[in-house]
Amino acid sequence: MSDQDGTPENRLRKELPEETPATAPEAVPTGENDEKDEKSGLTGRQRLVQGLWPPRVTRAQLIVAVLLFGLGFGLAVQVASNSDGDSALRGARQEDLVRILDELDDRTQRLEDEKAGLEKQRDELENSSDQAEEARKQTLEKERQLGILAGTVAAQGPGITMTIDDTKGTVEADMLLDAIQELRAAGAEAIQVNGVRVVAGTYLTDSGNSVSVDGNKINAPYRFKVIGKPQDLEPALNIPGGVVQTLEKEQATVTVERSTKIVVDALRAAKQPDYARSSSR
Amino acid sequence: MIAVLGLVVGVVAGLLVRPEVPAVVEPYLPIAVVAALDAVFGGLRAMLDGIFDDKVFVVSFLSNVVVAALIVFLGDKLGVGAQLSTGVVVVLGIRIFSNAAAIRRHVFRA
Repeated sequence: MSDQDGTPENRLRKELPEETPATAPEAVPTGENDEKDEKSGLTGRQRLVQGLWPPRVTRAQLIVAVLLFGLGFGLAVQVASNSDGDSALRGARQEDLVRILDELDDRTQRLEDEKAGLEKQRDELENSSDQAEEARKQTLEKERQLGILAGTVAAQGPGITMTIDDTKGTVEADMLLDAIQELRAAGAEAIQVNGVRVVAGTYLTDSGNSVSVDGNKINAPYRFKVIGKPQDLEPALNIPGGVVQTLEKEQATVTVERSTKIVVDALRAAKQPDYARSSSR
Repeated sequence: MIAVLGLVVGVVAGLLVRPEVPAVVEPYLPIAVVAALDAVFGGLRAMLDGIFDDKVFVVSFLSNVVVAALIVFLGDKLGVGAQLSTGVVVVLGIRIFSNAAAIRRHVFRA
């Protein structure tokens, strides 16, 4: 083994130029010649032990100590600075840092784009939900207005109350119908007669001494509650040859009162038409 | 012995003082340290062979450090700093290993 080891050592030694030429100057130098000659008979291990103990202050030892001090110092500084907190970047080279920075910039850019897209989406959703809310409000409002016309909701407002007292039983359906039409022509918006709502499809029929409105029999006195502009409605009824005069000719008593608040609260169930469909969509 | 003491004192001083490494030197310090380590192992081996010479050691130590730093510097200027410093570390590592093998043979006879 030792023979085999010997040869590669020599070969290796030749590959290391700093150390090999040492053989030449080594033989020459000054005062240590005797020691070196003694040492040359020793093994490497013995030389190591001799070098370590006892400590001798020689020029070589001092110089080597200074250099090793520098090495240890640099080593410690490097290790310390490398293990400092934010260190992944600390030891990185310039081009790596530039690359990392570029990647971060790209990432930031991508995230910014994504953020802009999401914000746009959010705005759109908010807008559309605003619009939906607005549409819903309008629909509700329209439903109320239509409900007043269709008689599905109660209504209140200024208007008149007309009472037809028919003691003789002479008032017939067509007279009431005339009255209703006159009121409509004068701008009545909601009408009820004795608790029956009058709507577009209302019909009146004679039924014995009294009158049926949409199949509901009503008896005198007939009380009309009408919402509309009182200044228009009352004269419309009272015009010469108009409703009031015609009724009074039939021996009925008619009183018309203006009021600032009339409540029309008779309701009618909403009815889904069987055949007619909206063609507006 | 004095040399070993120097190394220990250097490490302790470096840990205690913790100087801020100047930005200019920062990329070269690790390579310089590795180069110096190579020189130290070479010197140790020469000592075990009985052919140690302080002058040779000083020159090899300093030239190793300077050349290693120079190579890295040049590599940085050429834009291949990372690859060159890897190369330097590999070469120095190989040398350290071969020197360590020689030292091992001396010390352990194996």
